[in-house]
Amino acid sequence: MNIAVCVKQVPDTEARIKIGEDKKSIDESEINFILNPYDELAVEEALKLKEAHESDVTIISLGPDRITSSMRSALAMGATKAIHIKIDSTPVDPMITATALAQVLKEGNYDVILLGKQAIDDDNAQIGPILSELLDIPAINVITKLDIQGDVVIAERQIEGGVEKTEAKLPVILTTQRGLNEPRYASLKGIMAAKKIQIEEKNISLTDNKIEIVEINNPPQKPEGKIVGEGAEAVPELIRLLKEEAKVIS
Amino acid sequence: MKKSETLPSFSKSLFSGYLVDEMVFPYPEQDKEEKENLDLILETFRKFAEDNIDSSKFDEICEVPTTVIDDLKELGFFGLVIPEEYGGFGITSTSYVRVLEEVGKVDGSIALLIGAHQSIGLKGLLLFGTKEQKEKYLPKLATGEMIAAYCLTEPSAGSDAGGIKTRVVRDKKKGVYILNGTKMWITNGGIADFFTVFAKEEIEMPDGEKKDKITALMVTRDMGVASSKQEKKLGIRASSTTEVIFDNVEVPFENIIGERGKGFKVAMEVLNSGRVGLAGGSVGGSKTMLKQAITHVKERQQFNRPLIEFEAIKDKISQIAINIYAAESMTYLTTALIDSGKVDYSLESAMSKTYATDRLWENANEVLQMAGGIGYSQEYPYEQWVRDSRINSIFEGTNEILRLFVALSGIQERGEYLKKIGKALKDPIKGFGVLSDYAVSYVKDRLTKERIQDVHSSLTESKALFENWAKNLHITTERVLMKYGKSIIQKQIIQTRLADAMIYLY
Ligand SMILES: Cc1cc2nc3c(=O)[nH]c(=O)nc-3n(C[C@H](O)[C@H](O)[C@H](O)COP(=O)(O)OP(=O)(O)OC[C@H]3O[C@@H](n4cnc5c(N)ncnc54)[C@H](O)[C@@H]3O)c2cc1C
Repeated sequence: MNIAVCVKQVPDTEARIKIGEDKKSIDESEINFILNPYDELAVEEALKLKEAHESDVTIISLGPDRITSSMRSALAMGATKAIHIKIDSTPVDPMITATALAQVLKEGNYDVILLGKQAIDDDNAQIGPILSELLDIPAINVITKLDIQGDVVIAERQIEGGVEKTEAKLPVILTTQRGLNEPRYASLKGIMAAKKIQIEEKNISLTDNKIEIVEINNPPQKPEGKIVGEGAEAVPELIRLLKEEAKVIS
Repeated sequence: MKKSETLPSFSKSLFSGYLVDEMVFPYPEQDKEEKENLDLILETFRKFAEDNIDSSKFDEICEVPTTVIDDLKELGFFGLVIPEEYGGFGITSTSYVRVLEEVGKVDGSIALLIGAHQSIGLKGLLLFGTKEQKEKYLPKLATGEMIAAYCLTEPSAGSDAGGIKTRVVRDKKKGVYILNGTKMWITNGGIADFFTVFAKEEIEMPDGEKKDKITALMVTRDMGVASSKQEKKLGIRASSTTEVIFDNVEVPFENIIGERGKGFKVAMEVLNSGRVGLAGGSVGGSKTMLKQAITHVKERQQFNRPLIEFEAIKDKISQIAINIYAAESMTYLTTALIDSGKVDYSLESAMSKTYATDRLWENANEVLQMAGGIGYSQEYPYEQWVRDSRINSIFEGTNEILRLFVALSGIQERGEYLKKIGKALKDPIKGFGVLSDYAVSYVKDRLTKERIQDVHSSLTESKALFENWAKNLHITTERVLMKYGKSIIQKQIIQTRLADAMIYLY
């Protein structure tokens, strides 16, 4: 079995986002970057498959030089290969990203392609589905359980009010959701082994950009919270304020 | 081992009026690849800690749960400093201490668990062991299958480590040492399987006289080592601290570390290299406290304003930040000296420990103070920081003893040189003039003409101050040497002040 995991480096969830001077990008200078948490789930699932089927796990990522640190995180968890598609800055148009990834994925003949269901920075949740289209292989999105027997893939997805069980044949694209697994911590052994893995670099000419960011703004500041009181006595006043000030009930 | 005495030492040189600036300037930068690896290790620990380490609970139950220890073993945190050829990860001193800092940010007891194992417990073997000894034990120590402890202190011998009573007698027929005695305050004592033990042995000197000397041995739990119950302590309650008892324990001859009767040197060298780890942990603890304090003073309102807006509070916060900056700078300058090999870092290590642990205590106290009433409550982390911080100025050499050590080592260097000059010492008053003139011009030359050239312009004034005080340290050292001669050994107040001067200069 040949497995690929497409990952993205994103700002740390605790990073304080500062908007850049052009008002179209964020200021990256003081940001700590991490491996997208949903992609961690994908890496973990790939490693489980690797352990069951003795396969390679290739990490593929597109982005500037800084992303190799997150690729190393994935290698340290136990992935065996890595391909870095080098570009100056991460595209905002998911179509560009998916097209570039598809080109590399085609060369690798992968049976299983795993990705996080979305990246936590721009939250597009597009790459998996677009790849499915471009590569013409089935995608099962937002999975919470996975079982592969022979070439039959059975995956579960959480849907409104229940669980959907989906079946497909290899090759397959899977996007991962919380609950699928608990990503492992990279051990010292993994970190040292990752040191010896060469990250393969690829240069690809990107397709045209069809999405443009016009402006980025901070969310409006939340008005300060107010503590009305404590216990039952406070309820009448709370109701009054909800009615008259906040106007959320009538 | 004689060799190490002739290695260059930044601080000993400064006492003598030499500023070996290339040893410390510019500030060392970590190798890029090494830094990348370190970042991954830190990330692993942070994630692990967030999910698994509940410091206040461990404090309450007075132990680190076995599952947590097992996970840390699995992740590799017991083999950080052990070379790869022996199953460890061979990270540098800088990376190792940085890891201890990260652990110290979260939990002092766990920093000690990992630290006592690697900084001191197995360090004797690492520094002085033979290849066979290393092959036998290091792989098991690297995986944590064996946890290590360092057994020097006894009920009647703490600062005066030379006064230990634990004894070994050689049984030539059996090929073993018979070991008897009780060690006290042993970190990891209750959970360790590997003990580096220091004991007195009667050694026949070349002149035929018999003398008690210290011999260092590796003892394993299965040889019959017993531990007392967990000590009830002020802080670091989750850290295992016990007595370790040896009752006719038979230790094979081949388990000696170094040579017979040369164990005191082993004990001291281990502590010299281990101490800087405590500095790292203290920097980590201080950083977390500062973060918590800042959050608190921004939120807490009094007199209709958040506390952070009051000048007295700002002053406290900035002082803590300054303390951390200085302690951190000393610590990683020292680890870089250690990593560079071939230098004598004993004073720098002792000074980093002394300074960082004194500041840790001061920071903990101030942070609790800023928290006010809740600082005193067990519902909040502040009181545990105070309790956990307190130990650091006591063990691995009390800070008082370390100051005496720094001063006496610095003076000794100069004293030996002055002895060579000889005559001048016999006529202190006349001699002083000659020597101090010589000293002043010499130091001036060394300091201002060719030394520290490319400092940032904002530091020109600090540089001048530094040079001036460095000169004064040197002159004072010579002056007290000439005034007190040998009896300087009794002048602890002067020694302490000299050491403080050196610490601030460093
Ligand atoms: C929690 C904990 C863990 C420890 N872990 C270990 C361990 O793993 N292994 C180990 O071997 N030991 C360990 N120790 C022991 C520790 O190193 C000693 O407690 C320490 O060296 C001080 O010795 P002491 O307690 O006998 O104090 P003392 O030596 O009696 O000192 C008491 C006071 O007198 C001062 N003093 C002593 N002599 C002089 C002097 N000549 N001049 C001026 N002042 C002096 C000291 O500075 C101190 O303030 C641990 C101790 C504790 C509390």
